[in-house]
Amino acid sequence: MSKDHIGQSHRRENALRHLAGRGRFTTDLSLPRMLHAAFVRSPMAKGRIVEVDVTDAAAAPGVVRVFTAQTLNHVCEPWVGTLDHFAGMQSGPQNMLADGQVLWAGHPVVMILAHSRAEAEDACELVMLDIEDEDAIVDGDAAQMENAPLASDGIDSNMCFQTVLETPDLDAAFARAAHVVEGDFTFGRHTAVTLEPRAVIADYDPSTGQLTVHHGTQTPYQFQDVYARHFGLNESKVRVIAPDIGGSFGMKLHVYHEEMATVAASLLLGRPVRFVADRLESFVSDIHARDHRVSARMAVDADGTILAMDVDDMTQIGAFSTYPRTSAAEGNQVIRLMGAPYKMPDYRGRLSVVFQNKVQTSQYRAVGHPIACAVTEALVDRAAQLLDMDPFDIRARNLLADDDYPHVSATGYQFEKLSHQASLEKLHDMMGYGALRKEQARLREQGIHRGIGIAPFVEITNPGAAFYGVGGARISAQDGAVVRLTPSGDVHCAISVTEQGQGTETIIAQVVADQLGVTPERVKVTTGDTDTTPSGGATWACRGAGIGGETALRAGRKLQAQILALAGAILQADPAKLTLANGAVVDAATGDERISLAEIGRIATYRPDTLPDGCNSSLTAAEHFAPGGYPFDFTNGIQASYVEVDIETGITRLLKHWVVEDCGRIINPLLVDEQIRGGVVQGLGPAFFEECLYDDAGQMTNASLADYLVPMAGEMPDIEIAHVETPTKDTILGAKGVGEAGTAAAGAAAMNAVNDALRPLGAQISQTPMTPLRILTALGHVSAGPKRGY
Amino acid sequence: MELEGRQSLAATPEEVWSALFDRDVLEQAIPGCESLEQTSDTSFAAVVKLKIGPVSARFKGEVELSDIVVGRSCTLSGKGSGGIAGFAKGAAKVTLTPQGPETVLDYTADVAVGGKLAALGNRLIKSTAQKLTGEFFANFDRALAVEEDAPAA
Repeated sequence: MSKDHIGQSHRRENALRHLAGRGRFTTDLSLPRMLHAAFVRSPMAKGRIVEVDVTDAAAAPGVVRVFTAQTLNHVCEPWVGTLDHFAGMQSGPQNMLADGQVLWAGHPVVMILAHSRAEAEDACELVMLDIEDEDAIVDGDAAQMENAPLASDGIDSNMCFQTVLETPDLDAAFARAAHVVEGDFTFGRHTAVTLEPRAVIADYDPSTGQLTVHHGTQTPYQFQDVYARHFGLNESKVRVIAPDIGGSFGMKLHVYHEEMATVAASLLLGRPVRFVADRLESFVSDIHARDHRVSARMAVDADGTILAMDVDDMTQIGAFSTYPRTSAAEGNQVIRLMGAPYKMPDYRGRLSVVFQNKVQTSQYRAVGHPIACAVTEALVDRAAQLLDMDPFDIRARNLLADDDYPHVSATGYQFEKLSHQASLEKLHDMMGYGALRKEQARLREQGIHRGIGIAPFVEITNPGAAFYGVGGARISAQDGAVVRLTPSGDVHCAISVTEQGQGTETIIAQVVADQLGVTPERVKVTTGDTDTTPSGGATWACRGAGIGGETALRAGRKLQAQILALAGAILQADPAKLTLANGAVVDAATGDERISLAEIGRIATYRPDTLPDGCNSSLTAAEHFAPGGYPFDFTNGIQASYVEVDIETGITRLLKHWVVEDCGRIINPLLVDEQIRGGVVQGLGPAFFEECLYDDAGQMTNASLADYLVPMAGEMPDIEIAHVETPTKDTILGAKGVGEAGTAAAGAAAMNAVNDALRPLGAQISQTPMTPLRILTALGHVSAGPKRGY
Repeated sequence: MELEGRQSLAATPEEVWSALFDRDVLEQAIPGCESLEQTSDTSFAAVVKLKIGPVSARFKGEVELSDIVVGRSCTLSGKGSGGIAGFAKGAAKVTLTPQGPETVLDYTADVAVGGKLAALGNRLIKSTAQKLTGEFFANFDRALAVEEDAPAA
């Protein structure tokens, strides 16, 4: 059979190649006459540059050129990380190398180009930086004090962006509530730690004026646009190639000083320049994520009905808002996703996005979701405890009913159709909830403290232009695909969505195969090259399957129609009575083969002279698709965590994790489950291990993999997954996104589980990561130490 | 980062005091000292080469002595820049107490580091700083003994 590959598990097409060591990452690439870049970075969180002496460095062995702000920045138009739909937002202009002022420990000041990275690094040691130390803004609360120094030039206060969402009856809801539960939450900073660090090779050819940038990014078209505009080049003279990419998670779609400087250096020197971040500099230059303090309260009725939430989120973003997506999107989603799974009619959310002298924070897998979910679900559990209700019962009472759609949330989100009730029920059965509670009670008698936590969630996927385009960002909301039948009857699809190891190319092949009646093995998919694929948004915000898949489907159908029309002309048959199956044109009624695709390809390519006059022999179809209808396709699901807390050591053992998820039409169950598992691990990491720790002077104190803890396989629980399928009616394919679902609620479920374990001991934790020391502190076994540094 | 410690030195407080202000003694005592220049009665400029974990760097720094109570106590404050390795700055309060024929030197120091030095984690830096302090006093004690043995000028 050659139909119905959609919905079947297929292994990732590139998995064997990667396993066999045949990956082609930017980091692997070497070009003739290529130079290697290294950067001298500010050791201080804030200061004035008094002098930069590069004399010795310029004379060092292997060094070809040394750039400072004065010699490099003039070739690049500065960038400003604000968007119009975030009213009143501000951020200072940024350029490649620090000019006059350094604004975080790690800020690049000098760029050295040498014949090897080692020589460039050696020369970095010879640069003498004289920087006059200034008081850094380290803490977001201190940043908002009157007379606080400014985190950078070009801003009039340390407030990047503020907004309030409020329903008219919010105060009345709290006034009539039987109970109000509340809490203060702290979510630490963490970072992506991709297997392959950021990597770029810029190759400017002065003889043709062509700039080719090999760039480990999720968004090649966005960077083609950025490079063209900021370096004053025609877009057609800029080609961005994103080959194999060793993980991105949102971290690799922001504009970074080092990548821009690498392009600038290649433009000035007329030869290839390579920059690959080492692990130490990744920690102080890759974007960080989260860093929120949230105060929240929830009003509930005597029967456990949630009436309203009132939330204040303060998020700390570094000295600048990132470009071109800003650092306000995360906080904006935090306040809009609060209470999203529930009927809750009233809401107030305040957001303060605050500058400080640290590495920039910005979009990272599940933007805002884990914060909103953890706060909401912690408060729901507190309400349940107060009312002596079971966590499942209070959620069953409040979740949006599966037949109550379309629905508009209190924060203004429009839900087409979700499946919270079905998901809740499925989870209850899958985890054997009753038996688990009995086991928990039995073990408690033996002094073993286990906890069960659940967390429903809503995920934002398939964004249209509402995300960035409406704010003036040149970030494509549409994607494009070109599908063609080759002369021998194989299929090629060039598409703008990209592959970072999640299997985009595999699912696109499945979708196209089903439209053309071939097996996915006969569909070759090309991604990640602005010269060979059509323009589009690429891969972010869970849009690869939902938008990319729909684009491929529509292009495939267009080609299907062309092939059938051509076959009709060749066979003297009505195209409406033909269809494609098993690599051939077949009779739609009987399934009998009429002519093979190879024969169609042969005739159209080599013998078009045998076709009737005026017959169109085109075997290439191009289609672009932008989501219409709802501004986003929301998905939903629910997660559960089962943990055991050792109250002597504070160490939490993750025993089991369950996910029920509804991403609409599932194209490839194997890859969907892999996305969910990976996402869960990336949610559990910051819940228990990952944190970028800073001292009072703004120095990151654990910026190496010796000190920064990433989740390891041995610490992760088994993750059991089930699905509900509610396809979106906005598209033919019906697929929604799934890449961020695991991350969205894993930490929330785990925090509820830990608190469930601690509850009989009268302890409660509301800070992530939930380190052993923090758990012991919550238990009162150790006294509260300094606010940071543990 | 705070460091503190106590060291018994085989010399009188007066001898220790003058050695603390003696360029030659300090040059021998400071681990990795490549040059030391006295820039005034109470200040020095130094170049010191150090290896802290994987970071090896040449620090250029200045040391200033203040809060001087002659023969009793003073504060040494300084800052050094190690290029890409980062910087270190801090102040140490040093107190001398006679104890029989010896002198007990107590110090409490508050040290801040930045750049790669900070990124590598306080654990590593604290143990290295303690090791360097130990080396300094061992060298200082040895230099004191040599000074005593030397004939008076």
